[in-house]
Amino acid sequence: MSNTATTPATNSATAKQGRTVRFRILRCDGPGKPSYWSEFDVQPELNANVISCLKQIAEKPVMVDGKEVTPVVWDSGCLEEVCGACTMVINGKVRQSCTCLIDDYAPRDGDTITLEPMSKFPVVRDLWVDRERLFHNLKRVKAWVPIDNTYSLGPGPKESPESQQTHYKLSECMSCGCCLEACPQFTIEEDESKWNNAFIGAHAISQARLFNNHETGKQLKGERLDELAGPGGVADCGNAQNCVKVCPKEIPLTESIGAMGRATTIHKIASFFSGKK
Amino acid sequence: MANDSGFMERNYFLLRRLHSLTGILPIGVFLIAHLTTNSSLAWGGLALRGKHSELNTLEGGQAYFYHEVEWINSNVPHLLLIEITLWLSIAFHSVLGVYYARTGKNNTQRYAYQDNKRYKWQRISGYVGVLFIFYHVATLRWQWTFLVPGGAEWNHHFSVSTLAAALRGSYDSITFAGFVVSLFYFVGITLLVFHFANGLWTAAITWGLTVSEQAQKRWGMVCTALGAGLMLAAWSALGAAVMTDPVEARALEEKLIVEAHGEQHLLEAKEKYPGPAPTVGEEDIADK
Ligand code: SF4
Ligand code: SF4
Ligand code: FES
Repeated sequence: MSNTATTPATNSATAKQGRTVRFRILRCDGPGKPSYWSEFDVQPELNANVISCLKQIAEKPVMVDGKEVTPVVWDSGCLEEVCGACTMVINGKVRQSCTCLIDDYAPRDGDTITLEPMSKFPVVRDLWVDRERLFHNLKRVKAWVPIDNTYSLGPGPKESPESQQTHYKLSECMSCGCCLEACPQFTIEEDESKWNNAFIGAHAISQARLFNNHETGKQLKGERLDELAGPGGVADCGNAQNCVKVCPKEIPLTESIGAMGRATTIHKIASFFSGKK
Repeated sequence: MANDSGFMERNYFLLRRLHSLTGILPIGVFLIAHLTTNSSLAWGGLALRGKHSELNTLEGGQAYFYHEVEWINSNVPHLLLIEITLWLSIAFHSVLGVYYARTGKNNTQRYAYQDNKRYKWQRISGYVGVLFIFYHVATLRWQWTFLVPGGAEWNHHFSVSTLAAALRGSYDSITFAGFVVSLFYFVGITLLVFHFANGLWTAAITWGLTVSEQAQKRWGMVCTALGAGLMLAAWSALGAAVMTDPVEARALEEKLIVEAHGEQHLLEAKEKYPGPAPTVGEEDIADK
């Protein structure tokens, strides 16, 4: 995996074993509480990553000034970059912490790594944020295949190998939130009542594209396009194209934005002349 | 306020697309025509096709530009309607643009990608561009001469000399205030050309014309080429205007008026727009 956002500063080959790495962590004791910086020194294990260092800090939560504090809280799941839970801002750029190798980020003795929670979601505690709005926005575009029923519907329509190729890439989205964190048009909104009119984000636009092209998912095409053509929809995108550069799964988000721009244009013109709405 | 946002939300798609569309039609198309005409001040001398062979290149450009402006002002049908359409489109594009720009938050410090920087500059150029267009139209079209250092009043019979005087800050030489105005023009036109070229690139994604990365790249090259051409036109127009000596240009204009319409016409024009006589001081031409 390679992309610009996660390009390490130095080559891991030069990493010195037994070194001390300083972690500068933006902490927060709970929702609404003020944030503050804390520093911890860690001697990383062989092939350590940010999570393994956070575990070391949890075992011995003593700051550099010798003060013992409550352990730093973070979120994680798979530990192999498929669940997205451990996403945070590392050295100023958003990425997954479980695959962030210390040898790459801090190869020398005394190197510093800064950890911050994502800024576009409310902090639960320390590095752990609440990504609820991300999932809410997937619901807005009905990012699923509608097959719920009380009896068997039989086999679905066939997918062509070409569409399968496109779909596979799009389906790799792990709802991590990197694309939202880096997007200048996606700003934090703690008021849930405003979520439906605020920018939906590149991940949801791309998932709408995935399910609109899916032979069975197509049934909800119109509803998805209505949502994407509405307030906070795809036209809110300012084409800064940060999303595509930070997506760890290298999903062609800007192509999805173009594709949904085209689909909403056609959808709206068609409904102007023949639709009821 | 609640009603306002309700309106914006109900008509979200239409307003977004109209915002995008007005940037191209009529504003962008007008920009191309406007910069082409104005840059003729620099290259027009080469396009006179044998007429005015007595003039040098710079004077030839002035003569060409003079004829262009005369033609536009006497031959283009319902000019005022075109102008009003433009003003309304610019007002609409600006007001909505500021409203939309305020929904985003720049983060180029953290994500210093070229696209992201252009996102930021699209907004900055919009803000500065609105101020510039307002000044430009107010002074040279609506004759708000109190905003023009030296007080020159632009009019189409003496398009070259009055333009040069308005930019240079006086009919005689470049004043400091004139330098500031010319600098503002340089910044304004540069940012606006960027705004148009970059806007054309993003509009293609917004409307869904360019979907694939390759298509976006290719269209990007087209927009860059167009932007470079317009930038050249804009800079050469400004350069030629600032280099023009208003007094000499006035003499040339008077000669051209006589050639085209006769002595009588010149007398009438002169009475309406006295302008500077070479011997007349600034205070005589400043607005009353
Ligand atoms: S291209 Fe659109 S969605 Fe992606 S980062 Fe930029 S503004 Fe956000
Ligand atoms: S599109 Fe990429 S960056 Fe965005 S949530 Fe999905 S995997 Fe993460
Ligand atoms: S823990 Fe699942 S992506 Fe890092």
